[in-house]
Amino acid sequence: MEEPEYADLTCTACGRTAEHELRHVGRLLATTTCTACGHVVEVVPRSMLTGYLHDLEHRVTSKPVRMARRARRDPLRFVRELPGALLRQPGKLLDELGTLIRGR
Amino acid sequence: MLLAAGTGSRTGHRTNKVFLPLAGRRVFVWTLDATAADPAIGPVVLVVRADEVEAARAVLAREAPRRDVRVVVGGASRHASEWAAVQELLPSIEQGEVDVVLIHDAARPLSGPGLFRDVAAAARQHGGAVPGRRQPGLLHRDGLAVRAGEAVGVQTPQGFTARELVAAYRAAADAGFEGSDTAASIERFAPQVRICNVPGSSTNIKITYAEDLFLAEALLARSSFDVRRLGPGAAGGS
Repeated sequence: MEEPEYADLTCTACGRTAEHELRHVGRLLATTTCTACGHVVEVVPRSMLTGYLHDLEHRVTSKPVRMARRARRDPLRFVRELPGALLRQPGKLLDELGTLIRGR
Repeated sequence: MLLAAGTGSRTGHRTNKVFLPLAGRRVFVWTLDATAADPAIGPVVLVVRADEVEAARAVLAREAPRRDVRVVVGGASRHASEWAAVQELLPSIEQGEVDVVLIHDAARPLSGPGLFRDVAAAARQHGGAVPGRRQPGLLHRDGLAVRAGEAVGVQTPQGFTARELVAAYRAAADAGFEGSDTAASIERFAPQVRICNVPGSSTNIKITYAEDLFLAEALLARSSFDVRRLGPGAAGGS
């Protein structure tokens, strides 16, 4: 599970525009929690699996273009960070899949 | 003009919703994508809060490096933000390089390029254009049902001929008037402009509720993450 993001959204339960905590699995939104009333909207992890695989396909196919863009923007940083990023990817993907299969 | 400054009513220092990740990119970058499909649309002015200028520039450099986007600081109200963007475009308007101005909520990432084209064409022809969708099932406050076809939910982008828009905003500034949206200023200070209704799009949701993010994500996945497949004139759009 990724680090949460926070944003002001309107809550369908309490009607207030309040800070919401948003948690993602990969690029997909998994849960939102209204910090004012605690109302949680979540997708059942297993039901995200099909969407996750579809999104993963898009992540993989668009990766070369995104990497080339990063390399053009800051070549030194790209070269410096590439090995670490490559090593982290398998663990990151396993973690995401594990979250979807086991639940949160 | 992409409006991303909000109304200044956010709590704390949390992320402006247009900066939230949505299927791997920030919400407003998807919005920007819808304007990229038509080479006749440009330049683009992104209006953000003063404390978000650097963040906006960083996102643009990372996710839309080839787009020519002018980032300007908005005001305390939607009207003030629009006026700031109009002033940024003023030289281009006065030189005749910009004939129609489209004003769009950056929190509507799924409008699709077709809606931009339709609104621009209608604004060029009539003077002003506002997309809307019929809202069935509404009630008057006294409980009487609104007849089908009488009520429309207004969307953006709203489009207006540039010179009339500038004149209306100058007059509004002189009068100290702040409209709730662009059309309000035009109706009051440029009544000669005919504002026509353009069919809106069912996918053109405004990210307001937490659930909207889930819906936006699903709609993007359905379009294979290509906003050109959303909105009027697109396969599967409406």
